[in-house]
Amino acid sequence: MTDFSIDGSQSSPTIQGNWAQGILSMQGDSYPENPYELFHQVFSWIEGFLQNADRPLHLELRLLYLNTSSIKALMDIFDLLEAAHVQGKPVDVSWYYDKYNERVVELAEEFKEDCSFPFAILSHN
Amino acid sequence: MEPLDLFSMRESYNRQQIMLCFNGPISRSLIEEIGNALRNYLAAEQAPASSAMDVFAVYIELTQNIRHYSRLKDWDDQDAGATVVVARDEQGRYVVSAGNLIEAADGERLLSRVKALAELDKVQLKALYKTQLRKPREEGVSSGAGLGLIDIARKASAPLEASLRQVDAQRAFISLRAVI
Repeated sequence: MTDFSIDGSQSSPTIQGNWAQGILSMQGDSYPENPYELFHQVFSWIEGFLQNADRPLHLELRLLYLNTSSIKALMDIFDLLEAAHVQGKPVDVSWYYDKYNERVVELAEEFKEDCSFPFAILSHN
Repeated sequence: MEPLDLFSMRESYNRQQIMLCFNGPISRSLIEEIGNALRNYLAAEQAPASSAMDVFAVYIELTQNIRHYSRLKDWDDQDAGATVVVARDEQGRYVVSAGNLIEAADGERLLSRVKALAELDKVQLKALYKTQLRKPREEGVSSGAGLGLIDIARKASAPLEASLRQVDAQRAFISLRAVI
Protein backbone atom coordinates (compact mmCIF):
# COMPACT_ATOMS: atom_id res chain seq x y z
CA MET A 1 0.00 0.00 0.00
CA THR A 2 1.04 3.57 -0.47
CA ASP A 3 0.46 7.02 0.84
CA PHE A 4 -2.67 8.76 -0.30
CA SER A 5 -3.95 12.26 -0.24
CA ILE A 6 -7.28 13.88 -1.11
CA ASP A 7 -7.65 17.61 -1.57
CA GLY A 8 -10.39 19.13 0.49
CA SER A 9 -13.07 21.42 -0.84
CA GLN A 10 -15.49 23.81 0.78
CA SER A 11 -17.69 20.89 1.77
CA SER A 12 -15.24 18.02 2.08
CA PRO A 13 -12.17 17.43 4.25
CA THR A 14 -8.50 17.29 3.27
CA ILE A 15 -7.20 13.82 3.95
CA GLN A 16 -3.67 12.39 4.06
CA GLY A 17 -2.52 8.85 4.73
CA ASN A 18 1.17 8.33 5.50
CA TRP A 19 2.05 4.66 5.35
CA ALA A 20 5.58 4.92 6.75
CA GLN A 21 4.57 6.98 9.76
CA GLY A 22 1.24 5.21 10.26
CA ILE A 23 -0.68 8.49 10.35
CA LEU A 24 -4.08 9.21 8.82
CA SER A 25 -5.11 12.84 9.11
CA MET A 26 -8.30 14.70 8.21
CA GLN A 27 -9.03 18.42 8.40
CA GLY A 28 -11.94 20.67 7.67
CA ASP A 29 -15.68 20.50 7.18
CA SER A 30 -17.44 17.46 5.79
CA TYR A 31 -20.91 17.87 4.31
CA PRO A 32 -21.01 16.32 0.86
CA GLU A 33 -24.34 14.81 -0.18
CA ASN A 34 -22.71 11.46 -0.48
CA PRO A 35 -19.66 11.15 1.76
CA TYR A 36 -19.44 7.38 1.47
CA GLU A 37 -17.28 7.40 -1.66
CA LEU A 38 -14.80 9.67 0.09
CA PHE A 39 -14.79 7.89 3.43
CA HIS A 40 -14.71 4.49 1.78
CA GLN A 41 -11.23 5.29 0.46
CA VAL A 42 -10.14 6.15 3.98
CA PHE A 43 -11.74 2.98 5.33
CA SER A 44 -9.94 0.82 2.74
CA TRP A 45 -6.58 2.44 3.42
CA ILE A 46 -6.94 1.93 7.16
CA GLU A 47 -8.09 -1.64 6.67
CA GLY A 48 -5.05 -2.31 4.50
CA PHE A 49 -2.73 -0.73 7.05
CA LEU A 50 -4.18 -2.70 9.95
CA GLN A 51 -3.89 -5.96 8.03
CA ASN A 52 -0.41 -5.48 6.63
CA ALA A 53 1.64 -2.93 8.52
CA ASP A 54 1.89 -4.43 12.03
CA ARG A 55 2.74 -0.96 13.39
CA PRO A 56 0.78 1.61 15.42
CA LEU A 57 -1.86 3.63 13.57
CA HIS A 58 -2.53 7.21 14.65
CA LEU A 59 -5.53 9.25 13.48
CA GLU A 60 -5.02 13.00 13.65
CA LEU A 61 -8.30 14.87 13.25
CA ARG A 62 -8.99 18.56 12.84
CA LEU A 63 -12.56 18.13 11.64
CA LEU A 64 -15.16 20.85 12.08
CA TYR A 65 -18.76 20.56 10.87
CA LEU A 66 -19.89 17.08 9.83
CA ASN A 67 -23.30 16.40 8.32
CA THR A 68 -25.05 13.29 9.63
CA SER A 69 -24.03 11.12 6.69
CA SER A 70 -20.38 12.03 7.34
CA ILE A 71 -20.89 11.18 11.01
CA LYS A 72 -22.20 7.75 10.03
CA ALA A 73 -19.24 7.19 7.71
CA LEU A 74 -16.73 8.29 10.36
CA MET A 75 -18.37 5.96 12.85
CA ASP A 76 -17.65 3.02 10.52
CA ILE A 77 -13.98 4.03 10.64
CA PHE A 78 -13.97 4.24 14.44
CA ASP A 79 -15.62 0.79 14.58
CA LEU A 80 -12.77 -0.54 12.44
CA LEU A 81 -10.25 0.92 14.88
CA GLU A 82 -12.17 -0.48 17.84
CA ALA A 83 -12.13 -3.99 16.33
CA ALA A 84 -8.36 -3.71 15.78
CA HIS A 85 -7.86 -2.44 19.33
CA VAL A 86 -9.80 -5.39 20.72
CA GLN A 87 -7.42 -7.67 18.81
CA GLY A 88 -4.47 -5.99 20.49
CA LYS A 89 -3.36 -3.73 17.62
CA PRO A 90 -2.07 -0.28 18.65
CA VAL A 91 -4.42 2.46 17.42
CA ASP A 92 -5.16 5.92 18.77
CA VAL A 93 -6.98 9.11 17.85
CA SER A 94 -6.21 12.75 18.59
CA TRP A 95 -8.95 15.26 17.75
CA TYR A 96 -7.96 18.92 17.90
CA TYR A 97 -10.56 21.66 18.37
CA ASP A 98 -10.78 25.42 18.61
CA LYS A 99 -11.65 26.51 22.14
CA TYR A 100 -14.26 28.97 20.80
CA ASN A 101 -16.49 26.23 19.40
CA GLU A 102 -17.64 23.64 21.91
CA ARG A 103 -19.74 21.79 19.32
CA VAL A 104 -16.62 20.13 17.93
CA VAL A 105 -15.70 18.91 21.42
CA GLU A 106 -19.22 17.57 21.92
CA LEU A 107 -19.08 15.70 18.61
CA ALA A 108 -15.68 14.21 19.40
CA GLU A 109 -16.83 13.18 22.89
CA GLU A 110 -19.88 11.40 21.49
CA PHE A 111 -17.64 9.38 19.18
CA LYS A 112 -15.27 8.67 22.06
CA GLU A 113 -18.12 7.19 24.12
CA ASP A 114 -18.17 4.15 21.80
CA CYS A 115 -14.39 3.66 21.67
CA SER A 116 -12.11 1.96 24.17
CA PHE A 117 -8.79 2.82 22.46
CA PRO A 118 -6.83 5.99 23.38
CA PHE A 119 -8.85 9.00 22.17
CA ALA A 120 -7.49 12.43 23.06
CA ILE A 121 -9.59 15.55 22.56
CA LEU A 122 -7.24 18.51 22.63
CA SER A 123 -7.53 22.26 22.23
CA HIS A 124 -5.14 23.79 19.73
CA ASN A 125 -5.50 27.30 21.19
CA MET B 1 -47.70 39.49 -15.33
CA GLU B 2 -48.18 42.12 -12.67
CA PRO B 3 -45.04 44.07 -11.78
CA LEU B 4 -43.34 42.78 -8.66
CA ASP B 5 -43.63 45.09 -5.72
CA LEU B 6 -40.11 44.68 -4.43
CA PHE B 7 -40.54 47.40 -1.87
CA SER B 8 -43.46 45.53 -0.26
CA MET B 9 -41.47 42.32 -0.37
CA ARG B 10 -38.55 44.07 1.29
CA GLU B 11 -40.79 45.53 3.97
CA SER B 12 -42.38 42.13 4.56
CA TYR B 13 -39.01 40.35 4.81
CA ASN B 14 -37.56 43.00 7.10
CA ARG B 15 -40.60 42.96 9.35
CA GLN B 16 -40.33 39.17 9.67
CA GLN B 17 -36.56 39.47 10.16
CA ILE B 18 -35.88 37.17 7.24
CA MET B 19 -32.13 37.00 6.66
CA LEU B 20 -32.22 34.67 3.73
CA CYS B 21 -34.90 33.08 1.60
CA PHE B 22 -34.94 30.95 -1.46
CA ASN B 23 -37.55 29.30 -3.63
CA GLY B 24 -36.90 27.05 -6.61
CA PRO B 25 -34.92 24.10 -7.92
CA ILE B 26 -32.14 23.34 -5.47
CA SER B 27 -28.85 21.89 -6.65
CA ARG B 28 -25.94 20.68 -4.53
CA SER B 29 -23.88 23.74 -5.42
CA LEU B 30 -26.74 26.08 -4.65
CA ILE B 31 -27.09 24.55 -1.18
CA GLU B 32 -23.38 25.25 -0.66
CA GLU B 33 -23.50 28.80 -1.96
CA ILE B 34 -26.56 29.72 0.10
CA GLY B 35 -24.82 27.98 3.00
CA ASN B 36 -21.84 30.29 2.49
CA ALA B 37 -24.07 33.33 2.52
CA LEU B 38 -25.65 32.05 5.72
CA ARG B 39 -22.27 31.56 7.37
CA ASN B 40 -21.20 35.06 6.38
CA TYR B 41 -24.38 36.62 7.80
CA LEU B 42 -23.94 34.69 11.04
CA ALA B 43 -20.34 35.89 11.30
CA ALA B 44 -21.39 39.48 10.58
CA GLU B 45 -23.98 39.23 13.36
CA GLN B 46 -21.23 37.88 15.63
CA ALA B 47 -23.23 34.81 16.50
CA PRO B 48 -21.23 32.56 18.86
CA ALA B 49 -19.35 29.89 16.90
CA SER B 50 -21.42 27.06 18.39
CA SER B 51 -24.78 28.73 17.57
CA ALA B 52 -23.59 29.52 14.06
CA MET B 53 -22.61 25.88 13.59
CA ASP B 54 -26.04 24.75 14.87
CA VAL B 55 -27.91 27.04 12.45
CA PHE B 56 -25.69 25.94 9.58
CA ALA B 57 -26.12 22.27 10.52
CA VAL B 58 -29.92 22.52 10.61
CA TYR B 59 -29.92 24.34 7.26
CA ILE B 60 -27.72 21.62 5.69
CA GLU B 61 -29.69 18.70 7.12
CA LEU B 62 -33.06 20.15 6.03
CA THR B 63 -31.93 21.00 2.50
CA GLN B 64 -30.00 17.76 1.98
CA ASN B 65 -33.04 15.76 3.13
CA ILE B 66 -35.07 17.53 0.44
CA ARG B 67 -32.37 16.75 -2.14
CA HIS B 68 -32.30 13.06 -1.18
CA TYR B 69 -36.07 12.85 -1.41
CA SER B 70 -36.16 14.53 -4.82
CA ARG B 71 -33.54 12.15 -6.19
CA LEU B 72 -35.52 9.19 -4.87
CA LYS B 73 -38.71 10.42 -6.55
CA ASP B 74 -36.91 11.57 -9.68
CA TRP B 75 -39.21 14.55 -10.09
CA ASP B 76 -38.46 17.37 -12.50
CA ASP B 77 -36.66 20.48 -11.24
CA GLN B 78 -39.75 22.50 -10.50
CA ASP B 79 -41.41 19.82 -8.41
CA ALA B 80 -38.11 18.88 -6.81
CA GLY B 81 -37.56 22.40 -5.56
CA ALA B 82 -37.39 23.76 -2.08
CA THR B 83 -38.60 26.82 -0.24
CA VAL B 84 -36.11 27.77 2.46
CA VAL B 85 -36.13 30.65 4.92
CA VAL B 86 -33.70 31.65 7.68
CA ALA B 87 -35.06 34.32 9.97
CA ARG B 88 -34.88 35.58 13.54
CA ASP B 89 -37.78 35.51 15.94
CA GLU B 90 -38.83 38.13 18.49
CA GLN B 91 -36.40 36.70 21.05
CA GLY B 92 -33.54 36.91 18.57
CA ARG B 93 -33.34 33.15 18.06
CA TYR B 94 -32.57 31.84 14.59
CA VAL B 95 -35.41 30.03 12.82
CA VAL B 96 -34.72 27.76 9.87
CA SER B 97 -37.72 26.68 7.82
CA ALA B 98 -37.80 24.47 4.75
CA GLY B 99 -40.65 23.17 2.64
CA ASN B 100 -41.04 20.84 -0.30
CA LEU B 101 -43.53 18.82 -2.28
CA ILE B 102 -43.97 15.30 -0.94
CA GLU B 103 -46.16 12.34 -1.69
CA ALA B 104 -49.12 12.44 0.68
CA ALA B 105 -48.32 9.16 2.43
CA ASP B 106 -44.66 10.13 2.91
CA GLY B 107 -45.86 13.46 4.27
CA GLU B 108 -48.10 11.80 6.84
CA ARG B 109 -45.23 9.58 7.98
CA LEU B 110 -42.88 12.53 8.33
CA LEU B 111 -45.48 14.54 10.21
CA SER B 112 -45.98 11.66 12.69
CA ARG B 113 -42.25 11.33 13.09
CA VAL B 114 -41.84 15.03 13.90
CA LYS B 115 -44.69 14.83 16.43
CA ALA B 116 -43.06 11.80 18.07
CA LEU B 117 -39.70 13.59 18.29
CA ALA B 118 -41.38 16.60 19.86
CA GLU B 119 -42.34 14.44 22.87
CA LEU B 120 -38.75 13.49 23.67
CA ASP B 121 -36.36 15.28 26.01
CA LYS B 122 -32.64 15.83 25.31
CA VAL B 123 -31.61 12.58 26.99
CA GLN B 124 -34.15 10.54 25.02
CA LEU B 125 -33.19 12.29 21.77
CA LYS B 126 -29.53 11.43 22.35
CA ALA B 127 -30.40 7.76 22.98
CA LEU B 128 -32.54 7.67 19.83
CA TYR B 129 -29.75 9.33 17.86
CA LYS B 130 -27.22 6.72 19.00
CA THR B 131 -29.60 3.89 18.07
CA GLN B 132 -30.32 5.39 14.65
CA LEU B 133 -26.59 5.98 14.07
CA ARG B 134 -25.98 2.24 14.27
CA LYS B 135 -28.81 1.20 11.97
CA PRO B 136 -27.66 0.02 8.53
CA ARG B 137 -28.05 2.58 5.76
CA GLU B 138 -31.38 1.89 4.09
CA GLU B 139 -31.46 2.61 0.41
CA GLY B 140 -34.72 3.99 -0.81
CA VAL B 141 -36.01 5.08 2.56
CA SER B 142 -38.23 7.97 1.64
CA SER B 143 -39.51 9.13 4.97
CA GLY B 144 -36.61 11.52 5.55
CA ALA B 145 -36.95 10.62 9.18
CA GLY B 146 -33.54 9.27 9.89
CA LEU B 147 -30.49 10.59 11.65
CA GLY B 148 -30.72 14.08 10.15
CA LEU B 149 -34.13 14.78 11.62
CA ILE B 150 -33.08 13.60 15.07
CA ASP B 151 -29.94 15.74 14.84
CA ILE B 152 -32.08 18.78 14.02
CA ALA B 153 -34.37 18.02 16.98
CA ARG B 154 -31.31 17.82 19.28
CA LYS B 155 -29.93 21.18 18.13
CA ALA B 156 -33.26 22.97 18.32
CA SER B 157 -34.17 24.94 21.43
CA ALA B 158 -37.87 24.09 21.04
CA PRO B 159 -39.74 21.08 19.63
CA LEU B 160 -39.65 20.88 15.83
CA GLU B 161 -42.81 22.01 14.07
CA ALA B 162 -44.19 20.54 10.89
CA SER B 163 -47.26 21.19 8.81
CA LEU B 164 -48.69 19.39 5.83
CA ARG B 165 -51.13 20.66 3.24
CA GLN B 166 -52.66 18.80 0.34
CA VAL B 167 -51.65 20.09 -3.08
CA ASP B 168 -53.29 17.60 -5.46
CA ALA B 169 -54.60 14.04 -5.44
CA GLN B 170 -51.23 12.42 -4.75
CA ARG B 171 -49.08 15.14 -3.30
CA ALA B 172 -48.81 17.49 -0.40
CA PHE B 173 -46.45 20.25 0.71
CA ILE B 174 -44.53 19.67 3.92
CA SER B 175 -43.01 22.48 5.90
CA LEU B 176 -40.54 22.00 8.76
CA ARG B 177 -39.53 24.71 11.20
CA ALA B 178 -36.63 24.60 13.65
CA VAL B 179 -35.83 27.24 16.25
CA ILE B 180 -32.17 27.31 17.30
